[in-house]
Amino acid sequence: MGTFIQQLINGLTVGGIFALIALGYTMVYGVMRLINFAHGDLCILGAFIGLTTLTSAAGGGHPGAGLLLLAFVVSVIVIAVAGVALERIAYRPLRKADRLAAVVSALGASMMIENGIMLVWGPQVHVFPSNLLPATTWHLAGATISFVQVMIILASLVLMIALYLFVNHTRFGTAIRAAAIDQDAARLMGINVNRVIASVFIIGPALGAIGGLFIGIYYREAYFTMGWTYGLYAFIAAILGGIGNIPGAMLGGVLLGLFNAFAAGYVSSSWQDAITFGLLIVILLVRPTGLLGERVAEKV
Amino acid sequence: MRRAKLGTLIWAAGLALPFALDSSWVSVAAFFAIYAITALSEDIILGRAGIFDMGHAVYFGIGAYVTAILNTTLNIPILLTIPVAMLVAAGVGALLSAPLIRLRGDYLLVATIGFNAIFVLAMQNNPGGITGGSDGITGIGVPTLFGLQLESQSSMFWLDWVALGAVLLLMHNLDGCEFGRALRYLKQDELAASTLGVDARKVKTLAFALGAGLAGLAGTLFAVQLSTVSPSSFLFTESVTLFAIVIVGGQGSIPGVLFGTALMFVVPQIFRGLAEYRYFVFGIAMIAVMVLRPQGLLPRKRIAT
Amino acid sequence: MTALLELDGVGMSFGGLRAVDDLSFGVEEGQIVGLIGPNGAGKTTVFNLITGVYKPKAGIIRWQGIEITGAKPARVAGLGLRRTFQTIRLFSDMSVFENVRAGCHLAARQQWWQGLLSLPAQRREEAELTARTHEILRRLDLDSVADSPATSLSYGVQRRVELARTLAGQPKLIILDEPAAGLNESESAGLNETIYAIRETGVTILLVEHDMNVVMQVSDHIVVINFGRKIAEGDAASVRANPDVIEAYLGRDSDEEDV
Repeated sequence: MGTFIQQLINGLTVGGIFALIALGYTMVYGVMRLINFAHGDLCILGAFIGLTTLTSAAGGGHPGAGLLLLAFVVSVIVIAVAGVALERIAYRPLRKADRLAAVVSALGASMMIENGIMLVWGPQVHVFPSNLLPATTWHLAGATISFVQVMIILASLVLMIALYLFVNHTRFGTAIRAAAIDQDAARLMGINVNRVIASVFIIGPALGAIGGLFIGIYYREAYFTMGWTYGLYAFIAAILGGIGNIPGAMLGGVLLGLFNAFAAGYVSSSWQDAITFGLLIVILLVRPTGLLGERVAEKV
Repeated sequence: MRRAKLGTLIWAAGLALPFALDSSWVSVAAFFAIYAITALSEDIILGRAGIFDMGHAVYFGIGAYVTAILNTTLNIPILLTIPVAMLVAAGVGALLSAPLIRLRGDYLLVATIGFNAIFVLAMQNNPGGITGGSDGITGIGVPTLFGLQLESQSSMFWLDWVALGAVLLLMHNLDGCEFGRALRYLKQDELAASTLGVDARKVKTLAFALGAGLAGLAGTLFAVQLSTVSPSSFLFTESVTLFAIVIVGGQGSIPGVLFGTALMFVVPQIFRGLAEYRYFVFGIAMIAVMVLRPQGLLPRKRIAT
Repeated sequence: MTALLELDGVGMSFGGLRAVDDLSFGVEEGQIVGLIGPNGAGKTTVFNLITGVYKPKAGIIRWQGIEITGAKPARVAGLGLRRTFQTIRLFSDMSVFENVRAGCHLAARQQWWQGLLSLPAQRREEAELTARTHEILRRLDLDSVADSPATSLSYGVQRRVELARTLAGQPKLIILDEPAAGLNESESAGLNETIYAIRETGVTILLVEHDMNVVMQVSDHIVVINFGRKIAEGDAASVRANPDVIEAYLGRDSDEEDV
């Protein structure tokens, strides 16, 4: 029972992070039908920027909770700007081109950001300062729940609810959903599709930066290739839920987090990733549109 | 026809490279030949059939591992392992294609990424103790031809260069045969192609088998060149590079794919001193090429009748 | 005598929508059969069912007396049943010649490995099929544009290229989905000649068309459907006089594109 609850909490924590990052993939895909391969790297860039903000603002001293908030703010702003710039430079010129051109451009952007991080911060693993947050822990039926976990789970939940409300209950959210269904029709209805696209490249990377910083804080480390690893997981989560579908990404993230946590508890960890990828392939075959995605009939 | 003759001449001139270059550059030329074969084989699946294969390193890796295992454990001569490596890779390609071709576009791309990841993890986990885990397999022998040991870098280069020549000939013939055209019909409009009688499943499976088989050949040559194989040579990033070569060079274009290979594998050797900037610059270059020339650097020419 | 093509109680629905309902009709060898109906009557769906693009939810489709219900498009093509598309589906990156050559796909007996090795038998076959393609291009007066990119041409010429591609497969029956759509008046007038000329070569024709003049003039037999059901069948004069047909057409606007 203790193990079960422990894995449940661990899974929810990681799942919340996956979901935050997965939202960026799914929103961009929904509106542009593009897999933004650079998204994972943007998120980890967010972690690095947050880390640098923390250490430089602390000026050698010990960073406290207030500085942590500052780190989040700086990181979110920088990454949102980077996201918009990325769209302008690497994706907008290719909207009418062969889909594969945009895919390669996205792969190039990923390579550029990942290696840019390495050039600035170096190839070594950076350790996040300890005691950033209260070391308070709670004990529940033999499981230990840390303050960080509670914070990540709650913050992810709040952000997801906020995004859900924004997309479903505001005018601009309706515009996003309309553009996702049919860009041309949306344009004819007077929706500024460029603004919609810019907005998903603000919201997605902003949430991703928070997710990236959570990864850094939770695992207490950051290294330049991390974007691929976590990006891929989040991407799988987005597919699992049905790529292009916002609640799907949330569900997919949480489920994948739980799946990983329980798999780690019962399967040898060296095969755990293989099982995750196997699961991905099975889902693609059985239900390619994911758990919440709709089936799209091809018109002849 | 003129292009084909020019190509043949360039290839023939390439045979003289070992006399003009020092041994480290001959090895660069050998790697170029090996990666060119791999990229051309990816082009069959991605550039010609239009199947978004982002896991091509799997077949390259299978070829390398089959040769490494057969040679180091059973002492089978390298050249005899080539047909086995090609057949195993082609078989796996055909097998994986069965589920893959039911998927469309991006979903297929994601599934091939998944297969690549599983392949690497499987090699690392050393199933049955035959893949050597993360360290891989070392001590792969040198090929012997008519009792002659192809030990020097130059002789290995010639082996690779001849293999590349053979693959180029196949690719050239592919353009002028029904199977090659069927790939293009499917890529352009699968529904229209099927109403003309193109059996999509059969043609795509063949494309996978052929592309995988040729990648398997390149894998053998790779294992011989390095005399060692390890999972890190077949990571998903290798597949991404192969994918990018085809798109950046020009889909379905032999000169395009060769040029793309040269850019991705030879140019970095020239700037070896700036190694750490390499991928950063690559990334920028990939974006720039796509934005400025989305059809690729040397796109396929329309074939006149 | 068994009909060349026969539909027997064929039904199809999308979601809850009945697109085709209990539809039966036959096409005799050598006939020109017209399938007409107002917008959204389900005409294109019928074609998609016959050619295997969709699989019927009910009923049987027979080809020369043999059931082919639910056969895949490639198999249907192999039987000698070819089609054009309402929206024209040419291979856009290819020349007119290459497009028409694509129609010869099933005539090629070469194996893939023969092609890769460029063996003499394969090269002979390539030469034969090239000649066949040129002959069809000449027949349809397309030889002057053989090397042009297919989609650079006018709508009318593109329709002719698609027709040439169908004929290259030496079909027994061709299905023409709105061959007059998008044509100008003179092109449309020439269409009748083209259809007769094709029939002269022994090819049976089933066509869907909005242009009543074309259908009424060329068809030996007309099938009228509305809401996926057959409402009348017969020669041009009897169909024209049928009160159900008149009501179906007058009750609706027939100028929009069919679904």
